[in-house]
Amino acid sequence: MRMFTRLVLAIAAVAVMATVAVSQPAERGVTPTEIVLGTTMPMSGPAAFWGTGVGGGIDAWLRHINDQGGIHGRRFRFAIRDDAYLPPRAVANVRELVERDGVFAIVSQIGTANCFAVRDYMVENKLIWITPACGADIWAGMKERNRYLFVTYPGYVDEGIYLTRYGVDNLKTKNIAVFYQNDLYGQQGLLGVKRGVALARGAKLVAQVSYEVTDAEVTAQALKLKESGADTLIFYATPRHGALLAREIAKIGYKPTLMSTFTLLDPVMFALAADAWDNVYLSTYVPVPGAGDARVDAALAILTRINPALARNPFNANAGVSFVEPFLEGLRRAGPTLTKDRLVEAMESIKNWDGEVIRGVTFSKESRQGINRLFMVKAERGQYRKLTDWYTYPRKF
Amino acid sequence: MTQLAQYMMGGLATGSLYALVALGVVLLYRSSRVLNFAHGDIATLGAFVAFMLMTRAVPFAVAVPAGMAAVAALGAAFYFLVLRPAKEATLLGKIVLTLGLALAVSGAIQVVWGADTQVFPFPLSDTRVYRLGQIVVSEMMLGTITAGVVLLVAMYTLVQKTKIGLAMRAVAQNPDAAQALGIPARRIYALTWGLASALGGAAGVLLAPVVYLDPFMMLDPFLKGFAAAVMGGMDSFPGAVLGGFLLGIAENVFAGYVSFKFKTTLAFVIIILVLLVRPEGLLGREYHRRV
Repeated sequence: MRMFTRLVLAIAAVAVMATVAVSQPAERGVTPTEIVLGTTMPMSGPAAFWGTGVGGGIDAWLRHINDQGGIHGRRFRFAIRDDAYLPPRAVANVRELVERDGVFAIVSQIGTANCFAVRDYMVENKLIWITPACGADIWAGMKERNRYLFVTYPGYVDEGIYLTRYGVDNLKTKNIAVFYQNDLYGQQGLLGVKRGVALARGAKLVAQVSYEVTDAEVTAQALKLKESGADTLIFYATPRHGALLAREIAKIGYKPTLMSTFTLLDPVMFALAADAWDNVYLSTYVPVPGAGDARVDAALAILTRINPALARNPFNANAGVSFVEPFLEGLRRAGPTLTKDRLVEAMESIKNWDGEVIRGVTFSKESRQGINRLFMVKAERGQYRKLTDWYTYPRKF
Repeated sequence: MTQLAQYMMGGLATGSLYALVALGVVLLYRSSRVLNFAHGDIATLGAFVAFMLMTRAVPFAVAVPAGMAAVAALGAAFYFLVLRPAKEATLLGKIVLTLGLALAVSGAIQVVWGADTQVFPFPLSDTRVYRLGQIVVSEMMLGTITAGVVLLVAMYTLVQKTKIGLAMRAVAQNPDAAQALGIPARRIYALTWGLASALGGAAGVLLAPVVYLDPFMMLDPFLKGFAAAVMGGMDSFPGAVLGGFLLGIAENVFAGYVSFKFKTTLAFVIIILVLLVRPEGLLGREYHRRV
């Protein structure tokens, strides 16, 4: 009888434990075999070139990780929603990914205005957000609220300062003009140049000429810039508008020193602007494919094997890898029992870590700004040549 | 002064692109009173078909007419397969159907050719320039201005001086009476859709080398071309071209001397002003139906 009682008690105990285990809330978007991720990107519209490159790069890299068995036995399911570069659609997409699809994290996103539109929803709902590709300055001052945000993308303000100072110190820049997109992306770049001018001695901002992202052509902008007589012209534009302007100023015989944000680093610029893109100075936060870094080239080879279309968009495809790499490292360090908070702790343990594309990533309890450095490259006969070592700027968040 | 002339010359080139779009919009509106919101996407499709053929070593002189023919067939098919069965639909309903066509064509382009920006090979160069004193004019600029004028003359001649044009005008005035007189109204409508779409294809082919080829290249030119057509008069070919040129010049001069940020807004302010003074547009005629 005693034996029977013990058996019943043991079964009851197991049943209670099993019930407790089952009723414990599982982490959203995580099963024993799968992690669900999502993003919103401009897969159509004027910024589709960035979206298809970065989104395609992330997707191909996650497939590559899946082919190797995933991380701790979990494979990735990755959903990309098209926002056409429109902030309201980005908000709707993120809400749908979180509330209907139940993603574990939002990986990247494109467009500073789009990220800004989504920011409060992400922060208030304590959602994991990995490297939104937008001017990182919009996170500054949010230290107390960004526990679940991790960023390995530079701010355009910091970059604008760097481009300006590099021009003044090395290229005899005196009079600067900025060609910028009339939204948060371009305005942050412009702000950076203004701050750079304030910091540099003897340089002036003589023209700031904007365009709308829907503009089909930029002939009037080119004339206005020529009229300014600036000796250095800095671009904050889409590849299409950047190439159109470079071609247009060459056509009207205006030949300033050209400098550009890294968003125009893709070799497609050589195809679009042809010779007009020669001798352009650009900053970058990751090594450029085809410029002598074997690991970066190997990463691109993996991407193009999985998705051959990415060969047309190599810098952006690799940028996608650079956004997701630290997150994958965090998942490895978090171990098989994955929760949001374990991931955060694991991400905070990443110090001076090198991925295949991204280098020198450091997070901490105090800082979510994983990288704070850039270097300069120059466009020469259809390729980019590295010019400088790393330039480091202060961490802001 | 030189600067102003250069802004105006740039505006003329941009305006010629608007005029090309406006011609197609007007052609269709004249005969069917339907505003075709798919015109921009049809133009893009024409350019993509020509581009695809050229990348397969088909010569430019064959690829471009083939692209125009492909979209002409699409336009005629859209009339026969969609608009004709929906003949009882209101005018607004038909316009919504063209919006559906726009979405379908745009989606198909992205699926087939992707969203990349590409260089469209063209025999005229946009970087080879001629200098008239201080004013710079590119080969391409001259080409698009000439094409705008040639297509205007061709359309005007077709509609005003030929039997087909007469039939198009008759169908536009009163389709039932025209049919009773033996004019095949359905075929005339289909022909108009085909012609307007081919015109769109031509606009796409002329625009692609200037603004680069991508699935969204017609977004702004279509809106501006549409605005130019409204400004010039929705039933007037010369009005469409005049509207295009005026809009292009006004935009460029305004951007150069006042503000880039309100360049697009200006287009619509001008249209409001023109319509306040001349509701039928600059060269449009008031529409009267005989009873």
